[in-house]
Amino acid sequence: MRALAEQNYYELIEASPDGSPQQIERAYRIARSAYLPSSAATYSLYSSEECAAILRRIEEAYAVLSDARLRREYDARLGRAPAPTPASVEPARTKRVVPARSEPARAPEPDLARRPSGERRGLPPPPPLVGRRAAAEFDLENSFAPDNGVFDGEVLRRIRVSLGIELEEISSITKINDQHLRSIESNQYEVLPAPVYLRGFLKQIAKCLSLDPGQVADSYTHRMRETATGGA
Amino acid sequence: MRRTGTPSWLSVRRGEPTLGSDHDDFVVKPPPPARVWAVGGGKGGIGKSFLVANLATVAARSGKRVILIDADLGGANLHTCLGVRAGERVSLSDYFEDRVLELDKVAIETPVPGLRLILGALGHTGKAETTAEQRTQLLRAVRKLPADLVIFDLAAGTDRSTIDFFLEADEGFVVTTPEPTAIENAYAFLRAAFYRQLAHELADSSARDVIRLSMDQRNERGIRTPADLMAEIDRLDPAEGQRFRRLIEGFHPHLVVNQVRDTEEVKMGFSIRSVCKKYFGIDVDYAGYICFDDNVWRSVKERRPLVLAYPSSDGALYIRRIVKKLLGT
Repeated sequence: MRALAEQNYYELIEASPDGSPQQIERAYRIARSAYLPSSAATYSLYSSEECAAILRRIEEAYAVLSDARLRREYDARLGRAPAPTPASVEPARTKRVVPARSEPARAPEPDLARRPSGERRGLPPPPPLVGRRAAAEFDLENSFAPDNGVFDGEVLRRIRVSLGIELEEISSITKINDQHLRSIESNQYEVLPAPVYLRGFLKQIAKCLSLDPGQVADSYTHRMRETATGGA
Repeated sequence: MRRTGTPSWLSVRRGEPTLGSDHDDFVVKPPPPARVWAVGGGKGGIGKSFLVANLATVAARSGKRVILIDADLGGANLHTCLGVRAGERVSLSDYFEDRVLELDKVAIETPVPGLRLILGALGHTGKAETTAEQRTQLLRAVRKLPADLVIFDLAAGTDRSTIDFFLEADEGFVVTTPEPTAIENAYAFLRAAFYRQLAHELADSSARDVIRLSMDQRNERGIRTPADLMAEIDRLDPAEGQRFRRLIEGFHPHLVVNQVRDTEEVKMGFSIRSVCKKYFGIDVDYAGYICFDDNVWRSVKERRPLVLAYPSSDGALYIRRIVKKLLGT
């Protein structure tokens, strides 16, 4: 347990130092939403000035951790090995944030800390995670894995909601039209794009939810074909 | 003294070995003590009894022997969630007043096979709170109940009975809804539980005075948060600071957010977890959430657990997921 002022950037946004860029993004979004002025989670414990100060540090942390080069430099200052690149990401097994060994590094380059948020939204493509969820530190969603192994739209929706991810966020990352996303989640097969595009969309959605892209695409399209032919 | 006869844990259960070919084989092992869960949350009307009834129903239907204890002594109504009429039936008051000598005998059947209920009314005493002696007596007896799982349905608020039952449980659940009032009360509940445990565990500590002082949020030393308190204890006695850290690390309540309506409110659970970590230093497990669902109030009106009345509803699905996660069933 360390005072806020002593927490490093990973501790601040409650992300694993081994987290993929996508996991960092998600941890940032969750950390940020807790300290927004509108948040019911903080108002009875922190003053608005305290929340604003924590938010500034969260933004500062994100500015560094969302930039691959700055993150590498920061990790080096913490005495850590560089964070894994997307290509080498393995499903993380750590359940809790691992505290850094050394004192937290502070104050990144001011110009980068003040970058407009729009610039930071240019995320790298979702890392190709294989198997079950890598974001083990948020294991709530693990309980939503379908018992029958079938990923239909409703299952994808439940998993997305359990992660606290809005449809618009998936759209912004994947560039898939909102309407297509809604149709996929509501199993409106008749209005979905051609199969070759649909598989691509499903794989991108799966990556956003840290699910196995191949499994999701196969399962969804199989269920769709079954429905079309009057199967189960 | 109240206890007479054979303790319930010495009764031989069906399917267990009894007498063998000679007396050396005669080994009666007490069954493992029941796991104990406690569900609290500070605020009234947030769905604690609803959650308890449904968690228990799912656990019982998965083959567990479950006993519920309605510890909301001033406003017991868990029985109604299960479709049980309390009437003049035995309750905790009969146990506390020695009219029934074994706790097991106070547990009445419910419509759910494998699920029994100990009614919480303290009718004859008229009290809403137990004494320390009664709590000790009850908690000892609970561990000997012939059950796999015992769940306490706690009262609203942070009185001693409620907090003690919460702290004695193997798993403590804090329920809230996404509303500011419920969240504020959930924090108050966690704070009360944490400080009570601290005061108890560090009663012999050189830091006990500063702990007592810190329980008043407006104390003169400016100790507001557990982090402030730890810094102060570290300053006074580093060895005690280490004990304090271990206590914090061992305190892992589960959080359930009820009546969630959208993604933003799902995120509220993550936010509360984050705030608990940053403000209290407590690792809260966000066990799950239950979506707002019209079927919930229908099931309450019908006096049937949601998971039985509307098993395919969203709420039922989410409750089953929580139990699956925690019991692995």
